[in-house]
Amino acid sequence: MEFVTHQLDELVAVVRGEGRLNMVSAPLLREAVSDAITSGRPRVVIDLSAIEFMDSSGLGALVGCLKTARQAGGDLRISAPSEQVVMVLQLSNLDRILTSYPTPEAAFSD
Amino acid sequence: MIDEILTLRTPQDDINVVHAYIERIWTLYPDLDMMDRLRFETALIELAANVIKHADEGRSIVADISIVIDDDYIHGRISDSSPAVKVDLTRRDMPDEDAESGRGIAFIQRLVDVLHYERRDDENLWVIEKRRAHA
Repeated sequence: MEFVTHQLDELVAVVRGEGRLNMVSAPLLREAVSDAITSGRPRVVIDLSAIEFMDSSGLGALVGCLKTARQAGGDLRISAPSEQVVMVLQLSNLDRILTSYPTPEAAFSD
Repeated sequence: MIDEILTLRTPQDDINVVHAYIERIWTLYPDLDMMDRLRFETALIELAANVIKHADEGRSIVADISIVIDDDYIHGRISDSSPAVKVDLTRRDMPDEDAESGRGIAFIQRLVDVLHYERRDDENLWVIEKRRAHA
């Protein structure tokens, strides 16, 4: 699993991974988001469209990344979660704070 | 009937080995309800991750993982060689929204119908059961 970051605009980064967001890949997501914020883009979208599975380690990484982004004056949003990811978000009640959008472009269009 | 048992050996095996095992089992049961699969897989992965995390505390472990599917239930079982575990399996509250860990057991309790632990013959035995949607 590898996370790839691209810039949506001057302040927004999109971080995308493929496969499973679990105890193996969660530290890599934290690192990718941290790098994006350090390089001056505190508004981060995690593109989940190719994440087929997420467990509580992956969810913990999303929460950690959200905190890091907000501490930097930005925010973290997610796009295109799969059915399993939505199930995990709802189970943890985190669907209320991790706002989901259909596409990365829609996430910071407000 | 057990179709296949996975023997997980840490540190060389990680959680992705368990995912691959579950996917192999699902191919044998193409008629399983999708939500049953998602809920059971998520619960078994949380359980296996807990077992592996114990190994991360400096121990290597060997764990046998099996799935049995009958008309009414999907049964999952993990037996591992770690020292006895002190665990409270009374129903857990979901941790606060800003928690970055500690949700695993609470997830399992909400995803499946049975979560059981016992120490048996120098092994930890974990059992989960998910009632099938049509049953």
